[in-house]
Amino acid sequence: MDSLDLIVNIAAATLRLGTPLILAAMAGLLSLQVGQVNIGLEGLMLAGAFTVVAVGFATQSVLVGLLAAIVVGMLLAAVFTLVVTRLKANLIIAGLALNLLVSGGTAYLLSILFGTSGTFSPPELESLPSLYIPGLSDMPVLGRLLFSFSPLVYVSWLAIPLVAIFLYRTVPGLHIRAIGQNEEAARSVGIPVRARQYLALMLGGALCGLAGAHLAVGDLALFREDMTAGRGFIALAAIYFAAGRPGFSALACLLFGLFEAVQFRLQLASSTPPQFFQMLPYLMVVVTLALISARKEWRKGWS
Amino acid sequence: MKHFAPTIRTVLTILLALLVGGIIMQLSGKDALNAYGVLLNSAFGNPRAIANTLLTATPLIFTGLATLIAFRAGIFNVGVEGSLYVGAFAAAWVGFTFTGLPALPLIVLCFSAGALVGGLWGLIPGYLKARLRVDEIVTTIMLNYVAILFTDYLVTGPFFVPGMSNAMSAQVAEQAQLPRLVERAQLNASFILALVAVIVVAWLLRRTTLGYEVKTIGSNPLFARWMGMPVARTILLVMFISGLLGGLAGAGQVLGVHYRFVSGFSRGLGFDGIVVALLGRNSPLGALLAALFLGALRNGSSTMEMFTQIPRDLIDIVIALVIFFVAVEISFGWLKRRTKASASTEAEQKGQADGLA
Repeated sequence: MDSLDLIVNIAAATLRLGTPLILAAMAGLLSLQVGQVNIGLEGLMLAGAFTVVAVGFATQSVLVGLLAAIVVGMLLAAVFTLVVTRLKANLIIAGLALNLLVSGGTAYLLSILFGTSGTFSPPELESLPSLYIPGLSDMPVLGRLLFSFSPLVYVSWLAIPLVAIFLYRTVPGLHIRAIGQNEEAARSVGIPVRARQYLALMLGGALCGLAGAHLAVGDLALFREDMTAGRGFIALAAIYFAAGRPGFSALACLLFGLFEAVQFRLQLASSTPPQFFQMLPYLMVVVTLALISARKEWRKGWS
Repeated sequence: MKHFAPTIRTVLTILLALLVGGIIMQLSGKDALNAYGVLLNSAFGNPRAIANTLLTATPLIFTGLATLIAFRAGIFNVGVEGSLYVGAFAAAWVGFTFTGLPALPLIVLCFSAGALVGGLWGLIPGYLKARLRVDEIVTTIMLNYVAILFTDYLVTGPFFVPGMSNAMSAQVAEQAQLPRLVERAQLNASFILALVAVIVVAWLLRRTTLGYEVKTIGSNPLFARWMGMPVARTILLVMFISGLLGGLAGAGQVLGVHYRFVSGFSRGLGFDGIVVALLGRNSPLGALLAALFLGALRNGSSTMEMFTQIPRDLIDIVIALVIFFVAVEISFGWLKRRTKASASTEAEQKGQADGLA
């Protein structure tokens, strides 16, 4: 029973920790499919985390904060799209600048608006209420694994099929993928390229806003400077690891969430260095990319 | 006059970013003019302030050079930060291990170790790009995190020093600590080394075959291949040099500032290198000036925070705006060429692979 308890604990933690990764990965996926590698996921998430806490605190409503986080994520994504499409700034540089802008901007606002630095956790602000369905949530194992999470966990589960259906089964989604494959060709057959780029990146902005919100008010209710701590890049890693497929990207996110969950427990229980698990997502991407390319080269060599 | 046009445009973008920063301060109810006055004064107001600005600029000169030499070859190396970390640890390790050596040989050995390990670290994405055509942007970003976490492991695990509040290595031998250049300031000999690096990189790019190959591969890889240039070898060499310069940045910080390896000490010095290369328009002299500018901002901002209660994070906002403005403005120049260049590399390498088959 004890070991079952441990497994359930770890599984629940995996699902919780995987949530912001899945949401951000779906955002990154939309961006990648329209042909724009989005380094700015990190910044968009951080903006969402700050907004949900700041607006939630100001309006005394975490739901209003959540809406604001979505809006801010979309607005920032719109500005980012403008900069990298019409203004033709280099994607990577603009992404890094976005991250710096949000990191500096949230720290600045934290200090100006709330007179604090580091962590801001107003006692009046409540975290999102966890799901509770009488009967279902009380079931021994399934109850904890399926019916006991903060609402954004379920949103992240919903986001996976929605993004997949959007990209592969709807007209705008097909447009987005066509633009990603060949922008000029897409333009020549009359696809509204600009509008679709805004659509993909702004939907991504909304998802990143939610991802950040989950970090801030999913379990606790606080904002910490740079609290995203590289999760935007782990989400990016998951996408590359899964070669840009929605379902596999989400699975990779859960795998990386599992590493995070296990690492917390190992730190207490054993001598395995926690950095080992923290490094794994990044190492796996480098190795995967190398293997994929090596296989391509090798095949070419034999054909 | 035409020659100065890019410089004037850069200065204008900087002024524009500072203006927006000022507006943000005014909107937050602060006196922007006073704040910039304090910032300017604490960056250049007296010899000690100038020394601190040069000190802050020192690692940025190295990382800026590291980034620009890769940019010149059309390689988007975001991994200078990683080289900086592993190089810094290597320098620290030599510094606290071979404590019996006299000052000069030990310092030379420390810097060599930092440079070598940083360079080898750069070779990993370099090899993946040159031989397997793996996109260097993704691999270098990922490897940065690996370097940060791995060095963190080293100082919390095998090189753990009991009794330290933060994760850091043992102190380097006293004779390995770089001599200071002025009194009552931390400015040290690594600044001189950074200036030497500017000259060496400028010479390398302008006067050597490698420099010519780098320029050609960066601007027209197809032509480079047709000329019979060793493209893959040059990519490897450039990534090694880029990593080497990153390693020197790390070694300089260890031997001149911290006197030990401190986990997570850099906080984006490698990233600032991208800003420096961008602002300096990919020229070594430009990078030197850009690093001094960035050093002045970062150095001045902490004093500004102390005296005006304006959070120093404002400077991050200003720097981010500078990057946006310069990136937008430059997009009509070399970066566009770079995108085209990489597209043609791909096409041309495909052709070569088909030829082999």
